[in-house]
Amino acid sequence: MAGKRNKIDRREFLKGSAAAAVAFGAGLALNPVYGGTGRVRGKGKRVIVVGVDGMDPRLSERLMDAGKLPNFEKLRRQGGFSVLGTSIPPQSPVAWANFINGAGPGSHGIFDFIHRHPEKQCVPFFAMAETLPGAGYWEVGDYRLQLDFWPFNHKPPATVLKRQGTPFWDYLDEAKIYSTFYDLPSNYPPSESQYGYHRCLAGMGTPDMLGTYGTYQHFSEDGPLRTKDEGGGKRSMLFFENETAHGKIIGPPNTFLVKPEDTAVDFTVHRDTDANAALIEIQKHRILLRQGQWSRWIKLDFEMAIPGPNKHISGICRFYLQQVRENFRLYVSPVNSDPSDSALKLTEPPEFIKEVSNRLDLFYTTGFQEDHKALSNKVFTDEEFRSQATYVLQERLALLDYALENYDDGLLFFYFSSTDLQSHMFWWDSDEKHPVRSSGEAKKYFGDIQQLYGKMDEVLGMILSRYGDKATIFVMSDHGFANFKRQFNVNTWLRENGYLYPPDARSVLADVDWARTKAYGLGINGLYINLKGREIYGTVEPGAEYEFYVDELAAKLEAVTDENGRRVIHKAHRADKDYSGPATALAPDLIIGYRRDYRASWDTCLGGMGGKILYDNDSAWSADHCADAAEVPGVLFSNKPIAASSPALIDLAPTILTEFGLGVPSSMVGRNILKT
Amino acid sequence: MTELLAQLVTWINVPVNVLGKALFGFIAVVPGWLSNTIISAVAGVVLLVIFKYTSNQRAIGKVRDDIKAHMLALKLFKDSISVTLRAQGRVFRGAFLLLFYSIRPMLFMIVPVVLLLSQLGLWYQSRPLLRKEEALVTMKLSGQADAALPEVGVEEANAFEIVTGPVRVAAKREVVWQMKALEEGEHTMRFRIGEAQVEKEFVVGEGFNQLSTKRPGWKWTEILMHPKEEPFGPDSPVQSISIDYPDRSSWTSGTDWWVVYFFIASMVFALLFKPVFKVRI
Repeated sequence: MAGKRNKIDRREFLKGSAAAAVAFGAGLALNPVYGGTGRVRGKGKRVIVVGVDGMDPRLSERLMDAGKLPNFEKLRRQGGFSVLGTSIPPQSPVAWANFINGAGPGSHGIFDFIHRHPEKQCVPFFAMAETLPGAGYWEVGDYRLQLDFWPFNHKPPATVLKRQGTPFWDYLDEAKIYSTFYDLPSNYPPSESQYGYHRCLAGMGTPDMLGTYGTYQHFSEDGPLRTKDEGGGKRSMLFFENETAHGKIIGPPNTFLVKPEDTAVDFTVHRDTDANAALIEIQKHRILLRQGQWSRWIKLDFEMAIPGPNKHISGICRFYLQQVRENFRLYVSPVNSDPSDSALKLTEPPEFIKEVSNRLDLFYTTGFQEDHKALSNKVFTDEEFRSQATYVLQERLALLDYALENYDDGLLFFYFSSTDLQSHMFWWDSDEKHPVRSSGEAKKYFGDIQQLYGKMDEVLGMILSRYGDKATIFVMSDHGFANFKRQFNVNTWLRENGYLYPPDARSVLADVDWARTKAYGLGINGLYINLKGREIYGTVEPGAEYEFYVDELAAKLEAVTDENGRRVIHKAHRADKDYSGPATALAPDLIIGYRRDYRASWDTCLGGMGGKILYDNDSAWSADHCADAAEVPGVLFSNKPIAASSPALIDLAPTILTEFGLGVPSSMVGRNILKT
Repeated sequence: MTELLAQLVTWINVPVNVLGKALFGFIAVVPGWLSNTIISAVAGVVLLVIFKYTSNQRAIGKVRDDIKAHMLALKLFKDSISVTLRAQGRVFRGAFLLLFYSIRPMLFMIVPVVLLLSQLGLWYQSRPLLRKEEALVTMKLSGQADAALPEVGVEEANAFEIVTGPVRVAAKREVVWQMKALEEGEHTMRFRIGEAQVEKEFVVGEGFNQLSTKRPGWKWTEILMHPKEEPFGPDSPVQSISIDYPDRSSWTSGTDWWVVYFFIASMVFALLFKPVFKVRI
């Protein structure tokens, strides 16, 4: 296909450039190749999909009615708007995997952010990817050497993508149609392209250099003497002497040591209280910041001691000087993998990230870029979070420019996280009391969300003006949004209703009497029966007893009411009824679908219990979508009329394949929605 | 002695700067890889000729012949341990003698090479600031570590704007500013330190330009490495003023790599011209 075209193909051009570089090996400096010189091609057809995570149909319609989203409104008038059915449960990893496979969780095996190992009873792990420890090594002094070649054949630790099934781009790849994905969720590490026609920058699920989903580091004069971990962050104390203090930024752990230790980079801060500013010296960098100022991205070199020459791993971070006088406070962003020299596989093909970085320099590479943890943990104020989230959006808009410049035809997918993570923190669609803000502030920040929708409308307008009559365009979201007012602790409810023992149990990970326990909750929406033969300490017999407990629990959960008499749970879905496919082994037995305003409590996610079953949400994380699928559907806009009634996420892959003239594989459950 | 060296290097820098500007002015108008290749080629050939006339060519030729003979002996008599060991010893001795004979020419060459490199560093080591680009300006002050820092300020100008600062780093006796470049061209920043006034030049623009990253103090090594601006005298309240210009990214004419490229390319050209000038190395 590519060879038949007269235009120079981007990959061929790069290969040519590489050959030229060899020919001029004496050291001729070649300019990098990008930006319009090479083009991604794919059979002349163009499909553009913009994934706007969490874009809500109710708010969208309200803003369209008010004339605030003229470009979306234009598509609505043309018949290109619909509510989009989401996944059960409507969590982003599950929903995006539905989009990827064109089928439900039974096909891809992702049921929640958090799964558990039943063979270890309920040890949790992140559902999207898991780091396996590796097998076999040699101990040489303090080091352990893993030699992954014959005759040793040691297995080094590896992060594996847990999503199962065939992603829809594999069919495009096979048909030699180019597809390029930017920030695709549920695809870390990115799956390999067999034929070389697929490129992907991994999104949600991509870790930082500490192996987490984002761990900021915070330094202050009133911080703890020894570095203290808090969910999503680390706090440390800075001690100033003669207005100078020293700290350490923690980096990736050195797994070459028998007893792995964190690597670290030292830094020095000199502050000038009169100038209300500080100079930070770290490695070869000197950064001057005044109070309230962010630094650019800074490259850090983490050195790992190994036998022989030390290994160097490059990470990037940004500094934010929060306060100089009285209590000096310095925020350091999560250490992201350096896109210009990445130690992680961030893209498929691996060199794709370098191409992007050659053009855009440094940018966030972790899956969760907006630092909501810093706001939840009160490291950030609302304004500081907004400023950081705005920067993320600016970076992503620059990435979109790059994506469009380098797009000719084939499939282009681009993802925005801002609408999701900013909504979690700023959405409040109610006059009732906000969990942490005054009524005025809640309104003001919800106004920001509405402006963000306006920004997405501008993005759509720009894409329509360039490709409106040349491409099939979809703007879609994986789910909608709802206020998160009240928390429901599933395990406390199970304990209080005699399904979980002992009566004073505090956590399913610590002190549960499994011999008497019939069910437990883990993850945001999952409820598991303590099933004999599956859970290692299982007590419930498969068959009739299992059926009894599943039905009884579903009925009782659906009957739970709040103090005001309002039902809390819309539906408790039976996995064996709602899921089908080859990948159901780790599925919960019941998926609890909450009504709007309700969600599983924070404690529930990792099996914790407390004194109350239902209580107020007191977190800055004031909106959510982990409710019932019927409560928080997503949106779908297209520049082509949507013919099918009730389209759902699983329909998009079949629709895209059909647009490219390909058949719909039997593994897909969805249908083409542009055709009745 | 160091005072004398500082004065000597300051004097030498004056004509060298004039010569450097005249000889290397073309760097501003040709691609970096080409200018460094041309300079490396000329330098390689000139140094080769200097080597020829400052070294003992007859002795070097004799040593090389001796080495060749013993290499041959190693090949022919590899069954004889005593001959092999003796030949290896003579080869090592020959290599050592070659090093010894190169000391004199190196002593002749070292000063011009260092002056040449310090001139080339002005062009290649950093790139000028672009318009609206920011950089740190650091003034290192003289005086005792525990003495109070004097009042320091920068005169406003159209060519730049101070974004942050002055920030005083008491522990290092430094004052730091974040400066934003506004106008293209060669400019001067004027500073006040109490009653005194000092200056530092800076450059805004694209391409190649002579950049003085640091106006040095009264240290001969610093004056040698930063030849463009007149150094601060021993009694000056300022030890140095430096600007953190951005790195230039290139394998042939970019930060740090230009030196590597210069040495490799000049060696290649020297080796290529060795038979032409009949030089024995």
